[in-house]
Amino acid sequence: MKILQNSSDPIYKQIASQLRDQILSGKLKGGDALPSIRALAADLKISVITTMKAYEELASEGLVTSSQGKGYFVNAQDMRLLAEQHMRRVEENLTEAIRSAKIAGLPLEEVQETLSALWELENGEGG
Amino acid sequence: MENAVEIKALTKKYKDFTLDVSAVIPKGFATALIGANGAGKTTLIDTLCGVTAKSGGRAVYFGDMTDIDDDALRSRIGYCSAADFFPLDWKLKTIAECMAIGYDNFDRARFAGLCEKWGLGSPDDKKQKNMMKMSDGNRVRAALAAVLARDTDLLVLDEPASSLDPLARDQLCEMFRDYLAAKDGERTILFSTHNIADMEFATDYAIFMAHGKVVEQGFVEDLKEKYILVHGDAQDGAKAKPLMLSYSVNSTSFEGIAPAENAANLEAVGAVTERPTLQQLSVGILRKAEEDAGK
Repeated sequence: MKILQNSSDPIYKQIASQLRDQILSGKLKGGDALPSIRALAADLKISVITTMKAYEELASEGLVTSSQGKGYFVNAQDMRLLAEQHMRRVEENLTEAIRSAKIAGLPLEEVQETLSALWELENGEGG
Repeated sequence: MENAVEIKALTKKYKDFTLDVSAVIPKGFATALIGANGAGKTTLIDTLCGVTAKSGGRAVYFGDMTDIDDDALRSRIGYCSAADFFPLDWKLKTIAECMAIGYDNFDRARFAGLCEKWGLGSPDDKKQKNMMKMSDGNRVRAALAAVLARDTDLLVLDEPASSLDPLARDQLCEMFRDYLAAKDGERTILFSTHNIADMEFATDYAIFMAHGKVVEQGFVEDLKEKYILVHGDAQDGAKAKPLMLSYSVNSTSFEGIAPAENAANLEAVGAVTERPTLQQLSVGILRKAEEDAGK
């Protein structure tokens, strides 16, 4: 896991985001235990409460569940739910792009063209 | 969440100073006591650890223990005031011998291991210098090694970082996290500091003190959402000031902290807001406490 201590992105969000990626991509599977809050804090050299907040954020999204005294476990991922999660992230990122486009005064057509071009580029890189 | 210590209207009266504190120290976390010199941090720690007798109120430890003179309670607390905790003519060996007599849970091998790890040498080395000839930093390391060589549930450290160099402060933070991780959720740390920036990544809960009282307390992540850091051009200062808790201005800009719910209104008058660091939060909260005290 990579943590930037001086990023404007709060550290708990960085942790949550990386774990979320691992869960949504299937790298962490249903039933897998997350590292203990305090062990992860020690490894990442950050405070315990920051790690806990990251875990609580994932729990509030239904990705993990806290089991009293045993720590946090990855929930079995419902494929439909997973697709929704992915869709939500796509929407979030596109909304961000639209905001930037409006600030720059770019018309919809140009943004769509850029999207298509970038799509092709990614496909090319992906092989 | 459970609390390791609940402090209920605990008071300590001196001729020219009164401590009057109600606060909690959450179990399983590192809590920082933050305040200016003379705010009462050491008085609170000394009263909690039974170094000085309280004047009134009470503290409940580990759910149901209230008598700080009870050995069963004392053995669970590792207390260390960094400054000259042990007599200056003692050597590491003297520390080991006296701790072993004083505490059943003192682990001599662990003490020797920590001394070696922190570059103090072996307590059994005949050439060991006495404490007087050690650097300030090494004296603190020796005291920390002694307190950590006991299997305790609560560490109480008065200004552990103040005489340490940057590298040693980093080791101290690491030591905090290892202590908490060793018995996941069962162990608690309380430490005081007037230099919170170095301890930011080892602090979970913060208790801010000014003039003998607690002026704010909470989990650091919650406090960082409760308050925002505000900056702006000096010309917009007058409009922003009523929305802020602490405020300072010079010829070019103003800054301070504000309740997070004022973010939109502050941005409307031209200010920019951001999530504060614990250091920035501390400055804002303590500055407000001084302003309030001056009124």
